[in-house]
Amino acid sequence: MLELRGITRRFRIGPTERTVLHGIDLDLAAGELVSIMGGSGSGKTTFMNILGLLDRPSTGTYCIRGEDVLAAKADAQSLMRNRMIGFVFQQFFLMPRLNAWRNVALPLMYRGTPEAEARRRSEAMLQRVGLGQHLSHMPNMLSGGQKQRVAIARALVTEPALILADEPTGALDPTVSREIMGLFEEMNRELGVLVVIITHDPGVAARCRRRLTLVQGRLLEEDDLAKARAA
Amino acid sequence: MIRQTLIEAAGNLLAVWQRSLLALIGIVVGAGAVIAMLHAGAMAREETIRQFRQMGTDTMVLRADSNTGMGNFRLGDIEATPEAVPLIREIAPFMIGGGTIISEGRSRNAGFLGVTAEFAQVARLPMAEGRFLSPFDRFELLVVVGHDLAQQLSSPFAPLRVGSQIRISRYVFTVAGILEPAMMNPMLPVDVNTTLFLSLPNARRVIALPSLSMAVARLQPDADPELASQMLQQHLGPGLRDARLNVLTARQLIAGMNSQVQLVAMLLGAVGSIALVLGGVGVMNIMLMSVAERRREIGIRLAIGARRRDVRRLFLAEALILSLLGAALGVGLGFLGGIGFAWMSGWQVSFSPIAAPLGAGVSIAVGVFFGFYPAVMAARLDPIEALRAE
Ligand SMILES: Nc1ncnc2c1ncn2[C@@H]1O[C@H](COP(=O)(O)OP(=O)(O)O)[C@@H](O)[C@H]1O
Ligand SMILES: [Mg+2]
Repeated sequence: MLELRGITRRFRIGPTERTVLHGIDLDLAAGELVSIMGGSGSGKTTFMNILGLLDRPSTGTYCIRGEDVLAAKADAQSLMRNRMIGFVFQQFFLMPRLNAWRNVALPLMYRGTPEAEARRRSEAMLQRVGLGQHLSHMPNMLSGGQKQRVAIARALVTEPALILADEPTGALDPTVSREIMGLFEEMNRELGVLVVIITHDPGVAARCRRRLTLVQGRLLEEDDLAKARAA
Repeated sequence: MIRQTLIEAAGNLLAVWQRSLLALIGIVVGAGAVIAMLHAGAMAREETIRQFRQMGTDTMVLRADSNTGMGNFRLGDIEATPEAVPLIREIAPFMIGGGTIISEGRSRNAGFLGVTAEFAQVARLPMAEGRFLSPFDRFELLVVVGHDLAQQLSSPFAPLRVGSQIRISRYVFTVAGILEPAMMNPMLPVDVNTTLFLSLPNARRVIALPSLSMAVARLQPDADPELASQMLQQHLGPGLRDARLNVLTARQLIAGMNSQVQLVAMLLGAVGSIALVLGGVGVMNIMLMSVAERRREIGIRLAIGARRRDVRRLFLAEALILSLLGAALGVGLGFLGGIGFAWMSGWQVSFSPIAAPLGAGVSIAVGVFFGFYPAVMAARLDPIEALRAE
């Protein structure tokens, strides 16, 4: 469903140029549960930004369902993000002045869903992630795990094809972390949504069926990594 | 979506309410000043029209000016004027002075006007009580009292009335009449309501440096004031020796007043415009600050599918709310300002029908104009940069 070919990303810092991603090829299918590991500064977030249409690669092609998504202009990419992609961030990134269901409803509002329907769908999604008792709570009244559940509900409410989570458990303690991981697994299984989780935590990666690692700007499958280590 | 945008924008403004209040004050003051200016302008126009009606357009005031001060008309020349200058229907000379008067043991200062019997007729002063001075008793010690002065000289136990006695220096005068309240006449150098009227011979007795330097006249219907002025110069000029004759017509005075009123209105307008621009800059300022502080929020919105125009709309909504609120309060302030202006200038309160819509419209336009740049800045943010912001 996702098809990336020869993705590179270079940053110009003053006079020097630094290549963070070196020609990445990757295919992702619907319903996969994928982890991407890698050291700090290895380019995980950079890669996620490209996957999430927040950034453009320096070279390479990227198609979603056969559509060249790099050809689109900024506003068209906004629409694609809204239709196809849900984001989950380490720091939750909820709107502090909107309550739980309004946070979840925000992407629906941007696609023009009437408020009543947006509310109904948001509340249903909050029920699914286990926050049925907290529909109208403000973010500052929720725990870290609860905030991340709201964020996951917000990512899922638009029924996207792809969920991108950048260290979603990085700010949570191990127990809550496992619960959130369980939620990702459940949503992946039940909704068939493709989930890509960027993580430092081997425990989190271990629960993904496909495990990728970013090493020196290249993306290696687990088998390749083992071979590279052996060599 | 629009409702949601407005709710969010209002929430954002409330969250930084001190800053919002500051920007709001700028707009309110600006809108208020502009609206007050328009009201004041309208009142000034009405006032001018009223005075015009009251004075009549046929009034002229003559003044003899010399290099050393006031000149002197020859009474005979003045009295001969209607015959010599047929465009003049009637004329009454007067001399100005003032001093202390004592009545019923109370003493106070008042303006004196030495006049002939024609004055009441020419200046259109109706009597409330008694009669005006007559040519036959000009050597009698008689006075006529303006309405307000009569009240000031009255006590609840001893109201001033015809026959009451008034002492000026060593003369004791008897009140012959009391005037009705008269509207302030800008053609006359005194307020007749607070003036004591005496005959010319009596005025020469009580005024320190008496000079018959002024006269009020009325034109024949449809007479040309310019031509009349020229003819007056020819008739009265030679008798003035080293003094010059100045003729002021109602038309000239009204033109002068209009230009003065316009100046005041323009000044007010300038102040209002500056305040409005300051208010607009205030709006821009707080919005730029709020864009800078909310970069990450903007990044999140862009990530979850907000288009640039959605972000722009959110910030424009904030500017719009501020300027709508500012305009509404400014309309109130403008009306208060108009009332204050009327109160200070002693004019009748009246409002300009275009003031509120025009002032409000301009201030909303200014707010939105200055809100546009920050909104565009917000919408242009790069989502990754914005997400990385602290
Ligand atoms: N906009 C940028 N400009 C310059 N360098 C950048 C930029 N974004 C990321 N980098 C660099 O790219 C490298 C990878 O960053 P990132 O993708 O955030 O790593 P991580 O794997 O920790 O998420 C880092 O060395 C970072 O300094
Ligand atoms: Mg990172």
